[in-house]
Amino acid sequence: MLDVDAKTETAIFAGGAKPAPPRPFRIGRLNLEIRQQLPAWQQALILGSAILIGLLLSGVVLVIAGVSARDLFNEFIVNTLFDGQNLRAVLFQASPLILVGIGAAAALRVRFWNLGIEGQMIWGGICATVLSLYHVGPDATRLPLMLVVAALAGMAWVLIAIFFKMRFGVNEIISTLLMNYIAMYFLLQLVYGPWKDPADGFPHSPAFAPYERLPDLMSGFNSALLLAAILTAVVWWLVHVSRAGFYMNFLYANDRMALAMGAPTRAITLIAVLLSGALSGVAGFAVTAGQEGRLTQSFFEGYGFSGILIAFLGRSDPLAAAIVAILVAMLFITGQSLQVFYQIPFAMVQLIQALIVICVAASEFIVRHRIHWVR
Amino acid sequence: MTAALELRQIRKSFDGFLALNNADFTAMRGEVHALLGENGAGKSSLMNVAAGLYAADAGDMLVDGAPVRLSGPSDAAAHRIGMVHQHFKLVKPFTVAENVLLANQRRGFASGLREIEGEIRRHSNSLGFAIDPDRRVDSLSIAEQQRVEIIKVLVAGAEILILDEPTAVLTDDEAERLLTTAREIARSGAAVILVTHKLSDVKSFADYVTVMRAGSAVATVNPRAVSAAELTTLIVGTSIAPPPRQAGTPGPLRLNVSKLRCARSDGHVMVSDLSFAVHGGEIYGIAGVGGNGQTELAETFMGIREPLAGAIEIEEGGQFVNAGPGAYRDLGVGSIPADRYSYGLATSLPIADNFAIGQVHTGRYGTWVHVDRKTMRTAAEAAIRDFDVQGVRRLRQKAGLLSGGNAQKLVIAREFSRNPTVIVAHSPSRGLDVRATAAVYARLLGARAAGAAVGLISDDLDEVLTLADRVGVMTRGRIIAEFAAPADRQAVGKAMVDHA
Repeated sequence: MLDVDAKTETAIFAGGAKPAPPRPFRIGRLNLEIRQQLPAWQQALILGSAILIGLLLSGVVLVIAGVSARDLFNEFIVNTLFDGQNLRAVLFQASPLILVGIGAAAALRVRFWNLGIEGQMIWGGICATVLSLYHVGPDATRLPLMLVVAALAGMAWVLIAIFFKMRFGVNEIISTLLMNYIAMYFLLQLVYGPWKDPADGFPHSPAFAPYERLPDLMSGFNSALLLAAILTAVVWWLVHVSRAGFYMNFLYANDRMALAMGAPTRAITLIAVLLSGALSGVAGFAVTAGQEGRLTQSFFEGYGFSGILIAFLGRSDPLAAAIVAILVAMLFITGQSLQVFYQIPFAMVQLIQALIVICVAASEFIVRHRIHWVR
Repeated sequence: MTAALELRQIRKSFDGFLALNNADFTAMRGEVHALLGENGAGKSSLMNVAAGLYAADAGDMLVDGAPVRLSGPSDAAAHRIGMVHQHFKLVKPFTVAENVLLANQRRGFASGLREIEGEIRRHSNSLGFAIDPDRRVDSLSIAEQQRVEIIKVLVAGAEILILDEPTAVLTDDEAERLLTTAREIARSGAAVILVTHKLSDVKSFADYVTVMRAGSAVATVNPRAVSAAELTTLIVGTSIAPPPRQAGTPGPLRLNVSKLRCARSDGHVMVSDLSFAVHGGEIYGIAGVGGNGQTELAETFMGIREPLAGAIEIEEGGQFVNAGPGAYRDLGVGSIPADRYSYGLATSLPIADNFAIGQVHTGRYGTWVHVDRKTMRTAAEAAIRDFDVQGVRRLRQKAGLLSGGNAQKLVIAREFSRNPTVIVAHSPSRGLDVRATAAVYARLLGARAAGAAVGLISDDLDEVLTLADRVGVMTRGRIIAEFAAPADRQAVGKAMVDHA
């Protein structure tokens, strides 16, 4: 039963000197080694190069699509940063992106992948709109009430996923993602049906009253940015200063050890995940009561993916995520003008985001491993 | 006749701990050769050297009389040495054939897979394994997965087959079938090495047995020519006199465990009807061969595992409280886990944080609104000094960078600075060198002197005999015998292996 090839047997075991076992001819091979540690500056260098490579690849794609290299520079850098109107637009656009970014980051800190940001935004938007449509409460308190209701709605939607995860072990990546579709079709049902605007017959809700919209502040910056900034500070406090944040680090690093140390692991997970849902709900409110001024059928599009991306690039740190969100907002605004002036589809923005993420994710491999060629 | 495998004067140390001390071992073709010894005697280390996983610090290795120097497991495979590890190295969602192919690469994938499937069927038929190459590994039972591991090394052409604790995970029937198969493989001309700590396996299935103790091979005998008592003596030794120890002054009852029943994560009941009691100022040692429910018992005390039945009662303010998961720490229980890197520490977080998590909920390091990093660092610094944790350059340094002994000292610093009334330590000196072990023992004896009730669960009989005031022997999830200190080493050893 042990079939021994007699020839190989003698080749290996004959005499004292040991000839190497026969090997097929090879040109060479790549050897992989796991790194113990890499200095911070090298890590930063690799990260920077990865982002640069992603941008260069995006540039190539855009040039192929018909935008000249000089126009690209103008659109991306000059027009967005050095034009007051555009800068305000970027920051206005950044507000919901910051909210979804810090929301995704909060959940990632307890290893919960919230892919249901869009669904939570939709419910936030729908519930805020309910208050507008049915004139709930006095006009003066309408806007803050819409904010609160949107936060609760987002929280409730993610609560279903976290309940199924904790009770039955259902993977949240699947449940949160699929629940987006439920929310989306319910939204379409509303805007094509009972909530269709009677004024123009388009599939969106009637416009909000002026006092139901996020106002501009003194210098023309929208209050949505202020809201995002305050909430960023709150999340920053939670993860870096509070005791819950201290426990979150342990939950992330070694959940069994956190449990053995008597950390309230369930409560901490719930706090982070519900906060993530609430922030997404608020983002839905910020878009409907900010940019759109009504509930539209596609106000949420692209935010789910962007939120995860922002949290990933910001390494789940709320402050870093907020900065990344502003950069992504630049991309959004530029994408809009590319759409208008160069007939470039908006999907190109998502393509650029994806290219950058792929490059950064791939660079992780180089951070963790050493590769060298062996002949 | 030349030996199939010969190891001469092998030495190997880890971090200052001498795991192999001039160990010799010889296995012949056609025989099942058992390697017997306690946990930590060096059995697995020696076989890992033979399988190319460890490079020996010194010593020679000969295969069929020719000296070899292995560069790794694939080099060992080229010398027809194959090892089946205690923890299977299989990719669960892959099929049997894919797993075997992964370890035995062929030129093409599809053609290689067909080739491999044929070989699996052939080996499977001749050994009576009935393994379907297309089944997914996660759909197989533990015993079937083990058969896949055996087929994997046979397909690689192994003629020196090392089985590391193969019966530890099997039922009695399965174990008997496996060992019968091992004999058949040996009869067909291979050398089969059976690493085990079960006396019964050795008595009924091995042609020869080499006994290891403290990193050296102490004897090679025919197991049928010696009595079980003689083998026990060889395993546990006679020479080492327990160090002089002062008798304790047991106080009132502090910990009472009654009819405890716990299951492993896969539902297998590992602890059943376990009862013991520990007084303040007393160390109660639980001796036993590893894998008899010790891990599950320790995990229950850490609050990670919920018992199926029974009670753990802890004295608090004069009365006994039935402790549930999550309440142990509040009732003053301190835990020292055996696997300090997976239960004791969060390796990617700073040393200061790893120290502070023990008491952060008390409000000692600020309220829930604000964690006071400064107080935390001061306290950690003081504890690191008091408990002599070496190798701390900065408090922000990751805990994973500490060596084994210092990592353990950090765990002890955290647990003991809470002044626990009950301490449950699981193999607290595992993998530590002599100095670190002595420091750990001093701490446990100090806690005993201070009036704490100490439960010491350990695979290392020496550790239990050195420290414990009373010794319970744990086998198959229950305490089957109790001895008062000074316990008779032979009697304890016999109780450990007799029922295993």
